[in-house]
Amino acid sequence: MPKSKTYFEQQVDKISKEVFQPKYYYIQARQSKAFMEENLSEKIELNRIAAAAFMSRFHYIRIFKQVYGVTPREYLKGLRINKAKELLKQGLSVTQVCFDVGYESLPTFSNAFKKGTGHSPSAYQELNKSNQE
Amino acid sequence: MIRISVTSVMVDDQDKALQFYTEKLGFIEKTNIPMGEHKWLTVVSPKEQNGVELLLEPLGFEPAKVFQKACKDAGMPYTMFEVEDVEKEYDRLKGLGVEFSVEPKEAGTVMFAVLDDTCGNNIQLVQTL
Repeated sequence: MPKSKTYFEQQVDKISKEVFQPKYYYIQARQSKAFMEENLSEKIELNRIAAAAFMSRFHYIRIFKQVYGVTPREYLKGLRINKAKELLKQGLSVTQVCFDVGYESLPTFSNAFKKGTGHSPSAYQELNKSNQE
Repeated sequence: MIRISVTSVMVDDQDKALQFYTEKLGFIEKTNIPMGEHKWLTVVSPKEQNGVELLLEPLGFEPAKVFQKACKDAGMPYTMFEVEDVEKEYDRLKGLGVEFSVEPKEAGTVMFAVLDDTCGNNIQLVQTL
């Protein structure tokens, strides 16, 4: 016999009905998010992501922000920093990591990394090395 | 700079909680400092062992018990943890005897499920789709 739904699940269902966007919004936004995840080591143009989601650039940015709460550019930056953290922990050089996560300039990468984590890439690497010992 | 170092869930039994959160959910014990009747007990994700610690906090304050029970009875999750694949995690935990009040379900940008941590809380697992 199926269990009856909890108050919480009923609320989720209610909100889903009232607030959520049509399903295709989510599917399109998800596809473009997957595209960013797969291509983050390359220079990604917003127009290309929008095209991957079959939308105009303007419409795409609006939908992405509505669905995920951040702009595609902000999301991509977060993705790159997380990947960079992982690679730095593995011991790759800062320059190598910079290119591997799709940045073309070391200062731009270092700035973005520092803003996102509070540490420079080399300080972050050093910190994780000493923590592992 | 300000940062989040510890967050907590209230548990009715710290030893039972440590067992559930490590052996079933897969966290790692980090600090375990005796403090009289209770202890300062934290766990971390294996993936982020220097990251945010989860404090398994003893439920010593009577009104907190009322709050916890009301949340539990209504199925409200006390907090949520991220996993890579909710359905896979659901199968794994089911196999370990963990009970779920919401089976894997899609809502907007997430897939989620709600489990019983056996220490008085509903815990939500989420995966961003």
